[in-house]
Amino acid sequence: MRERSYDVVIVGSGAGGGTVAKELAPLCRQGLSVAVLEWGAKLPDDAFTGRELEMAGQLYFDSGGVLTAEGTMTLAFGRAYGGSTVVYTGTSLIIPPATVGRWAVPGIAWDDLAKRSRKYLAENNVHLQEDEVLNENNTLFRDGCETLGYRVQQFPVNLKGCKGSSLCNLGCPNAAKQGTNRVQLPAAEAAGVEVITNCRVDRLGDRELFTTVAEAGYGEPSRWEPGDYRVKARAVVLAASAVNSPALLLRSGFGARLPVLGRYFTAHPALILVAEHDRPISSFYGHPKSFYCDHFTASHGFLLETCMYFPFTTAKNLIGFGAEHAELMRRMDRMQMILVLAIDPALPENRVTVDANGDPVVHYRFTEEVLTALLESMRASARIFFAAGARRVHAPASASFFIGREDASRVDELIARRHLKLGRNSITSAHLMGGCRMGTSPADSVTDAWGRVHGVPWLSVADASLFPRAAEINPYVTVMALADRVAEKVRADLPELGHA
Amino acid sequence: MQSLTEREWEFLTTCLAARIAPDSAAFDADGRRRFREIVAGALAQRPEAMVKQIRLFLGVLRRAPALRYGRTLDRLSPERQDAVLRWFQDAPVQKLRQGLWGVKALVYMGTYAQPEVAPGLHYTPSFDGNAHLHA
Repeated sequence: MRERSYDVVIVGSGAGGGTVAKELAPLCRQGLSVAVLEWGAKLPDDAFTGRELEMAGQLYFDSGGVLTAEGTMTLAFGRAYGGSTVVYTGTSLIIPPATVGRWAVPGIAWDDLAKRSRKYLAENNVHLQEDEVLNENNTLFRDGCETLGYRVQQFPVNLKGCKGSSLCNLGCPNAAKQGTNRVQLPAAEAAGVEVITNCRVDRLGDRELFTTVAEAGYGEPSRWEPGDYRVKARAVVLAASAVNSPALLLRSGFGARLPVLGRYFTAHPALILVAEHDRPISSFYGHPKSFYCDHFTASHGFLLETCMYFPFTTAKNLIGFGAEHAELMRRMDRMQMILVLAIDPALPENRVTVDANGDPVVHYRFTEEVLTALLESMRASARIFFAAGARRVHAPASASFFIGREDASRVDELIARRHLKLGRNSITSAHLMGGCRMGTSPADSVTDAWGRVHGVPWLSVADASLFPRAAEINPYVTVMALADRVAEKVRADLPELGHA
Repeated sequence: MQSLTEREWEFLTTCLAARIAPDSAAFDADGRRRFREIVAGALAQRPEAMVKQIRLFLGVLRRAPALRYGRTLDRLSPERQDAVLRWFQDAPVQKLRQGLWGVKALVYMGTYAQPEVAPGLHYTPSFDGNAHLHA
C-alpha cells in the first residue's frame, strides 16, 4: 500500500468539498498541503456529448438510479470532478429565514448563512436570465401561475455564456454552468491544492484514510497510479454527499459513538408531470429551469419548478404504457413539464445504513403527509398547465393516461389518492440531505454548528448531510455557505491538530 | 454473472417491448441490436441480487396469466396482454408494482435512450439552443 500525507484532506469535490478546497487553498502559500479525494472522473470539455445514457453513466452514481431499500424512490447524485454541481441546473437560492428558524441549530444564524451565500452567488456569476432567452416551457408556467394567482418567481442561475442547450443535467456542453468544476476547484488547484480523481475512500482511521484509485475508463487519468493508498492527514473534511458521508463514517466504526449517524435523511421527493400543447413549444431550447412556484410551500408542503428532461427519463416517469404512452413520447416538441417536490419531515427512521460490504443503503418511508403533498402538487400543476393553454395533461396519479382540457374543472376528482401508489409511480430525488445533522450533542446530532464531528476534533463534515431538516429550497448554495463555515473553523483549529 | 437467458430475452424484446413501447416493434436489426446492448449493459451494472429479482419477475409475469387464462402471457392476445400488464401496474402488492415499473424502465431505456430514435420523437436539442428559440 502506498502512503501519502497532507495537512488537510477533503473527501468529495462538489458544492461542499469544492468550496472547502478553495477556502483552504491559501494554506498552500503558507507551506501546508491540501488534497481533495474525488471518487469520480474529471471530464474534458469535449466529453460532454449530451447523450443521455453515456453522460448518466459517467456523471452519476448508478447512472442516476440509486434505489432506496424499499424500492420506492430513485436517488440521483453526481460522481465527478465537481460532484453534483456538474449535473444540477444551477438554480441558486439563499435559504429562507423561516427555514433556518425551523432548523433551530444553536450557532446557525440566517444572517451569517445569507452573507456567506451571497459571496458564492457573486463568485458563481448568479443572475436572472434576460426575457429573450426564456423558453416557452418556462414562460407558459409563469403565465399559468400568474393567471391562477399563484406566486411565481424566476430562478437566479449560475451561468456564464449559456447557450441554452437544455442539457444541464447531463453536464453542460458549453462550459457555461459555474459549478465547482469551473470556479472553486480550478482556483484551489491554481493555489496548490491537489485534486485526486478516480479515488474512492474505503475507510477512515485515526487521521488516516484508506483509499483506492482505479481508472474509470473515461475522462482524464487520476494524478495517482491505480492502487491502494493510505493517506494521513491532520484534519479531514467529509463532503461526499448525504449518502456517502454517513456511509463512510458508519463503515469506519463511528456509529457506536454517534447514535443518530445516518438518521434524519430528507430528500424533497419529486414527481414529473407532462402536458401536451396543440403546437410545438420551445421546451428543449433554452435553459430548462427558469421559474418556481413556492405559493404552496407553507400551506401544503410542496414546491413546483419548471424542468425539461430527456427521452428515456421522460418515458420512465410516465405512468402507463403502450399506444398512449408512445403517442405522447412522439411529440416531445409539444411537451411542457413541471417538477413537483414535497417538503419532507426529518424522521429518525429515514436513514443511511451500510450493508455487509460497507456500501450505503438508504431507507426511506413516505409519510401520509408527503404523499398528500405530492397529490396536491399534481393537482396544482394540472391547473397551471390548463391555465397555460395545454391540450391535455399526464399526471402520475390520475384515473386515465390523459386528462383533456374539457375536464380541466375536474382535476381534483381525476387526480386522486387511490391512484398514487408506491412502486407504481416514479418518485425521484436529487436533493439528498441529512445523515450527519448539526446540533449540540451526540445524543441527537453528529456535528456541531461548525460541522465538527462530536468528540473527533480532526474530523468535519461539509455537505448537505449536515442539514438537520430539509432545506425547503434547492440546497446547493446553502451547502456552500455551511462549507465556508467549516473551512473557517478548520483553518482556526489546524494549529492545534497533529498527525496521528 | 449471467444476464438473461435467450428465452428471457425473447420474452422481453418481443412480447413485453411490443406492448410497453410499441415503437420498438418497428426497429430494424440495428435498432434491435442497440436495444439489447443497452439493456444488457444496464443489467451488467446492477448487483447480481437485483438481476435475479428481475429474472424472477419476468418469470412471474410470463406464467401468472396461466392461472386465469390458461396460457402464458406471450400466448395471449394483445388486448389480454395489456390487461395483465395493467393489473401488475396497479397490483395490490407493492413488490409486483415495482417489478412492472422495473421492466418498463428497461424497455424504455432500450427504446428511448437510443439517440437514433430522437428525431422520431421530435426531440432535436442543440448545444446552441438559444439560436432556435425564436426561429
